[in-house]
Amino acid sequence: MAENRPVRRKRYVDYSLLVIVFFLLAFGLVMVYSTSSYSASLDFEGDSLFYLKRQLISVVVGLLAMAITSLIPYTLYSKLRHPALLAAVGSIMLILTPLGYTANGARRWLRFGPLSIQPAEICKIAIIIFTAALLTQMSPGIRAGWKGFWFPIVPTGIICLMVFVISDDLSSAIIIGLIPVFMVLVSERKNIWPILILTLMVTVGVFAVLFVVKGWIPASMSFRLERILAWLNPEAYADGKGMQILQSLYGIGSGGVWGKGLGKSMQKLGFLPEAQNDMIFSIICEELGLVGGLSVIMMFILLLWRIRDITAHSKDYFGNMLVSGIFIHIAIQVILNICVVTNTIPNTGISLPFISYGGSSVIFLMAEIGIVMNVGSHVRFVEEEADEQENPYSAETD
Amino acid sequence: MNKDEKKAVKKLAKQNQSKVVAFRLGVLYIAVLLAFVGLSIRLIKITRENNDEYQQRILAQQSYDSKTLAAKRGEIIDCNGTILAASKENYNVILDVKMLLDADRQAGDNTCSFETIKALSETFGVEESIIRQYINDVPDSQYFVVKKGASYEEMKRFNAFTDKPTEENKATSLYNEKIKGVWFEKYYVRDYPQKSLASDVIGFSKSEGQASYGLEQYYNDELTGTPGRKYGFLSDETTVEITTIPATDGYTLVSTLDANVQMMVEKHLRAFAEEYKDNARPGWGAQNLGCIVMRANTGEILAMADFPNFDLTDPEDLSILYTDEQVKQMQDEGTYRDACDALWRNYCISNTFEPGSVMKPFTVAMGLETGKLTGNESYTCNGSLKVADHEIHCHNTNGDGTLSVKGAVAKSCNVALMYMSRAIGTETFLQYQNIFNLGLKTNIDLSGEARTENLVFNDKTLHESELATASFGQGFNVTMIQMCAGYAALVNGGYYYEPHLVSKILSPGGTVVKNIEPRLVKQVISNSTSEKIVDYCNAVVTDGTGWRSKPAGYTNGGKTGTAETLPRGNGEYILSFISHIPANNPEIICYVVIDRPNVSVQEDAKYATILSKQILTDILPYLNIPMTEELSEKDIEELSELDLSVLTGRIETGTDEAGDGEANAPDPSIDLTATQTDNEGEYTP
Repeated sequence: MAENRPVRRKRYVDYSLLVIVFFLLAFGLVMVYSTSSYSASLDFEGDSLFYLKRQLISVVVGLLAMAITSLIPYTLYSKLRHPALLAAVGSIMLILTPLGYTANGARRWLRFGPLSIQPAEICKIAIIIFTAALLTQMSPGIRAGWKGFWFPIVPTGIICLMVFVISDDLSSAIIIGLIPVFMVLVSERKNIWPILILTLMVTVGVFAVLFVVKGWIPASMSFRLERILAWLNPEAYADGKGMQILQSLYGIGSGGVWGKGLGKSMQKLGFLPEAQNDMIFSIICEELGLVGGLSVIMMFILLLWRIRDITAHSKDYFGNMLVSGIFIHIAIQVILNICVVTNTIPNTGISLPFISYGGSSVIFLMAEIGIVMNVGSHVRFVEEEADEQENPYSAETD
Repeated sequence: MNKDEKKAVKKLAKQNQSKVVAFRLGVLYIAVLLAFVGLSIRLIKITRENNDEYQQRILAQQSYDSKTLAAKRGEIIDCNGTILAASKENYNVILDVKMLLDADRQAGDNTCSFETIKALSETFGVEESIIRQYINDVPDSQYFVVKKGASYEEMKRFNAFTDKPTEENKATSLYNEKIKGVWFEKYYVRDYPQKSLASDVIGFSKSEGQASYGLEQYYNDELTGTPGRKYGFLSDETTVEITTIPATDGYTLVSTLDANVQMMVEKHLRAFAEEYKDNARPGWGAQNLGCIVMRANTGEILAMADFPNFDLTDPEDLSILYTDEQVKQMQDEGTYRDACDALWRNYCISNTFEPGSVMKPFTVAMGLETGKLTGNESYTCNGSLKVADHEIHCHNTNGDGTLSVKGAVAKSCNVALMYMSRAIGTETFLQYQNIFNLGLKTNIDLSGEARTENLVFNDKTLHESELATASFGQGFNVTMIQMCAGYAALVNGGYYYEPHLVSKILSPGGTVVKNIEPRLVKQVISNSTSEKIVDYCNAVVTDGTGWRSKPAGYTNGGKTGTAETLPRGNGEYILSFISHIPANNPEIICYVVIDRPNVSVQEDAKYATILSKQILTDILPYLNIPMTEELSEKDIEELSELDLSVLTGRIETGTDEAGDGEANAPDPSIDLTATQTDNEGEYTP
């Protein structure tokens, strides 16, 4: 192995990860076109390519972002704990300025000329960097205690609340709230169970409050309550909140094992709202059937396996936490999205990573993949100084 | 070394940390895997359990956007191509509020709704506040009717804002990209450019496929097109296919009516109604006035008019007969519909009345045709005749003295006719009543022709005294069109033509779908009998009761009628005069009926004969009937007077055709030519 050393100095690229990401992106573009062409041609004077073109631009920008982040040494981020927090807070506060931009009835975007960005997406990546850096900074003793829990959770909890209150975006807030909790859980600490139980209690408590104090619910919350009721019994709410979820189930159910064929969905013809966005998985199941839906799940399983594999071979704690955060982010989003589409949890707008239409989401996810690639490529430099015998990774890849 | 060792320990610790993270992430990965397995199971469950049911639900909720495309109702034009009824495109202005607000949201301000509301308000004259109110109230609406019945011009004006500028009109284009969510729904409305002209003949259509009265109702199937349809359906591969079946427009009717003749006739009817208005009683100059002008040798109706008439564009307007208070009262009492029907119905075909002495030529014809009369008989009239214990009076109670058959017709002697009916007998009378189509429908192509089969005599009701009065037109009812068609047969050689109003049916492209030729139904009397009847009827004008009816420059024949309405002795009469022109070779039949003229002494045929003369004086030159008589000075004087008083209302302007009709080939009037050209534009593909 000694003679290979000069070769090993070359940048390591996890091609299998890349292939999976590219596949998901390409598949996403096909599905975005399939799901959106009908509604786009209605809404944009026959321009059926409207959504596809915009998504294509986002993907190109995302590729650029990925290339850049994969070249920046990830160790740089460990010093960006405070700037990351500031960026998260700042981006949300900007919504309150005239830069804030309302679309589809919600003020969730920032607009810079032709560009519009969702601050919630900035927050997600910022919080991953912040939590990873903070945990790395702590001594293992502190990290193992309660302080190791509260220190990252309190500031991220505040950001989570800000996202919920300012941009009125429950789904992003849930994701932003869950990412640090799971990151703390996977960090080297002993008392996992109290934290798990605490998280569970908080979640249950929130729902309990929602149910018990009906009269106390502000107007913005009542529609969420309705969503919950619709979740429990979508048929009874078929005209209102239950409609989307019911249409989603119709889509999945009617697809059968092999699906109706690519482009032949009927639910996308105006029946399933947000077909190209949160509900794209339902259309995938309708057009490509159970086989298509399970294949997509399989691709995500592979993607997450690749990401976890990189943490397994990273000897650097910060890199490890960083990639864990990204793993958690993608995993939460995929699971919650499919849960919503299959009516496993109440309806809340969560997009399917890499596939759903949405510029900010794709760009920042690609940037995160870039970071994962960078961490992966730095594996070697740590290894060189370590005991080679203990490095199964190099043996595998040679 | 110490330093190195420390470093190594630190590194090991770090490795340890990383391994813990990697391990826990591995556990998390397994948890994620389990979640995915759970979700996959759920997916499989949904698919397996609900596949068929959900597939059906999806099919059930497909509406396919099925949409009816309106077909254009065919036109009705007169024999010169003047449009009597046509359908115009109209538009409902629809605002998609949701789309507009979405555009606002995308732009991040409310310029789109501002500009759109402004443009809508300016173009269609709808108040901005109304639109704003609606947008506020129903922001989800995709179908807000901003204005109903916008015209084509208004639609064009609005489209100037939404049509993208082309290379040529870049400078002048009004294009405003901020205007969103407005579209138009096309439909047709019926328009009657001649307003009240021939209103009772044409009838009206208020909604697509529905028509009331007249040609509109009779030819409804031909006029109504086949609406098109735009719909989607599921093909074998359960994909939605959109198919459009274009609408087929309705056929056009070419009527035998001549709008000019019709207008002249209506002018005179109206003039009469106005002249005697509030004369002996409040109200118009007569309860009803009717006039039919028909070609004697084809049965084509040139004009069919009655008074009071109504405006086809606003049939509910009863102001010609009633004040607003009366209308309101009728609406309260529930008699409003009846009043409407009375106004809308066509007097010439729907109302029945006793024909009176106009029946006399028919009675004489029966006798001559069956040989029961020779025409050489003579009768003595002493003013009355006793029939079956009834003393039946002649209208001339002093008696007409000794009369030939010809004289009996000319002087309209009831007694002579009663003697004749004795010779004819009930059997022959009933037989010929049937032959002359009395009691039967003429089958004119108009809706609403009255059934008179129970209003004429049959073998159970016709006895001696009934026969006697029936001979001069009492005791049974007829319609104007029956008398007109029957009289035409009497004078044209005996040929009974079915009267008709439509000569051609054209496709929307202008090709002839159907030619409606004159339909000869039967020969009712022989040529020689017909010649005798013509001779007798001519004597009515030259030597009898109809002397006032002779139009200057023409010869005519005819028969007057004065029939007392029931109950007898009330002093109310229906006056009529039927005539043929020219006298010896009848071409035109003109039948005028005045129902209870507004004069103190109604029993005077002169009202009908003078009205007939006025009408004929006007229309004969127009119809290119050559003048055969020298005009006396009195005639010329009369004509020039008429020119000033009555003729000025004609469609044609500036022609004194009455002065020297022969030289005066009537050229179609200016405004009619204009409409005609428009009309042709429609038909040349």
